[in-house]
Amino acid sequence: MTKEYGYTSKSGRKTYTHDFFKSDTDQAVFLGNPLMDDMMTTLVALGAEVWASRRRVRIIELLMEKKGAVTKDMVEAYVPTDEEEAELRAERDAFIKIAYGHMAREMEDRTALNSDAFEGPRGSRSAARGDEPASSDM
Amino acid sequence: MIDRRTLFGATAATTSFLGSLFGSRKSNAAASAAKPASSFAEADLQPRGQIGRLERLPTQHLEGQHDFITGFRVFANRDMTRAARLRISEIMLEKGKTPIDNLPIEEILEDIGDDPVIANSARLWLSAQQVNWRTLYEEFHGKEDAYLAEMEAADNAGPGTLELNPDMDIPDYTAHEIHIQPGGYVGDPFAGHIYHYGTNNFYTGRNDQDEMHISYANAVPLPEDGTVRRVLDQGCSTGQLTCALAERFPDADVWGIDVGGPMVRYAHMRAVDIGIEAHFAQRLAEDSKFPDNHFDIVTNNIMFHEVSVEAAKDIIQESFRVLRPGGVFYPMDFYTGNHAPTAVYSKYRQWWDSRWNCEPWRLDYAKWDFDGFNQAMRDAGFDVNPEGPPSRRGSRHNTMGTKPA
Repeated sequence: MTKEYGYTSKSGRKTYTHDFFKSDTDQAVFLGNPLMDDMMTTLVALGAEVWASRRRVRIIELLMEKKGAVTKDMVEAYVPTDEEEAELRAERDAFIKIAYGHMAREMEDRTALNSDAFEGPRGSRSAARGDEPASSDM
Repeated sequence: MIDRRTLFGATAATTSFLGSLFGSRKSNAAASAAKPASSFAEADLQPRGQIGRLERLPTQHLEGQHDFITGFRVFANRDMTRAARLRISEIMLEKGKTPIDNLPIEEILEDIGDDPVIANSARLWLSAQQVNWRTLYEEFHGKEDAYLAEMEAADNAGPGTLELNPDMDIPDYTAHEIHIQPGGYVGDPFAGHIYHYGTNNFYTGRNDQDEMHISYANAVPLPEDGTVRRVLDQGCSTGQLTCALAERFPDADVWGIDVGGPMVRYAHMRAVDIGIEAHFAQRLAEDSKFPDNHFDIVTNNIMFHEVSVEAAKDIIQESFRVLRPGGVFYPMDFYTGNHAPTAVYSKYRQWWDSRWNCEPWRLDYAKWDFDGFNQAMRDAGFDVNPEGPPSRRGSRHNTMGTKPA
């Protein structure tokens, strides 16, 4: 862990920052080879890029249907309706499942074990033991 | 609202910037009504407007990236976590143990070894976290001067006030890159911007309008006499709970304090932007500088697991000092309503969250646990009710302390 200086702005504006300890998470190796770890992060970043682009295309299509012509400003400003947002969300989740789901399915496919047999249905025994849901880990 | 394309577009120039200063304003009627004419109104960057109290991310592309991260977090927390839980169960059974045994983390790590399913579950979660921060960092630092100017213009705007203490001694324990957020809470000028949007996708869209913070504010119990003139939110970060408290107690002086100057700066700017009168100060929770017996309520949200146990004890004592007799201390965190989990997967997750998601004090906090926390409250002088009203959905209780009258 190294200590780094607070941030100095290029324009000389005050930043109200302070020295801090830099985390070493960039050095974490979970997959046996740092390049594999880096590639996994790259895969997630590329997923974000692909989805952002797909979403933009869908917005352009929606605008074309509604307005006939589309400008960049219209795309930037567009707020999907609740119904459109729900459709986009379903499309996004399907994309994530196609692109990454095999990594989770592989485990489920190759074992007959069911975690409920050991830990109970989600939120039952774990909740009784004071087990916070995984999503509480920021 | 200033058109972002005027500010940042290829043809942006000072003249066009000045020419657009009094252009279209945001549509949030309540905020517009509350906001006084000020230099902030002129510098307020809202390139894509505001939905309710959420200022939209500055580009459709960034919004799309964060929409992906939102979905990916759900996948990582549900599907990958389930796979890892299954694999840990399998390993424990192979070793003649069970997944709910309370084992030392060293033993768990040895048993798990380099299992790829478990490792990949943590890897993907952390990769998403890294992409989350990086995209936001690039956006705000890419237009650094404009965003710094926006905060500068808000510093002295109202309603509410801002106190910055750039010469304050910052304890080392606070100066980590918590959650691997670049620069942490004290080292990056856009710590507040980055934290706010990074946690919005963490909450998977359920907190875009501060819904969760509003529910936490509404959970805070009142002193027995019902009098609430002053409220303190410790470790307030982006001020979402502080603002929710100010809305719940409109006649009270509501303060949010945080060690991070950029955090309270953003919190204040946002409160001004949405027209909420709250006061923010860069101060330490354990050395708040407020007078004795000053507050009716002292509260905080997910702060204690980010501080050392020693600091936590100091904070509890300081809370006692600044509360008036009869005042209520209501901390809201993982184990303020129940005990830390002990099942194998939970301990493993706590471990990598602490080690690789940079939550340096989280394991100590879990060891301290609900009982240690309550004892520290008693040691400080509080009358402790460990079965106070719950702050979280699914919790039955949340501890609370009352300063004896």
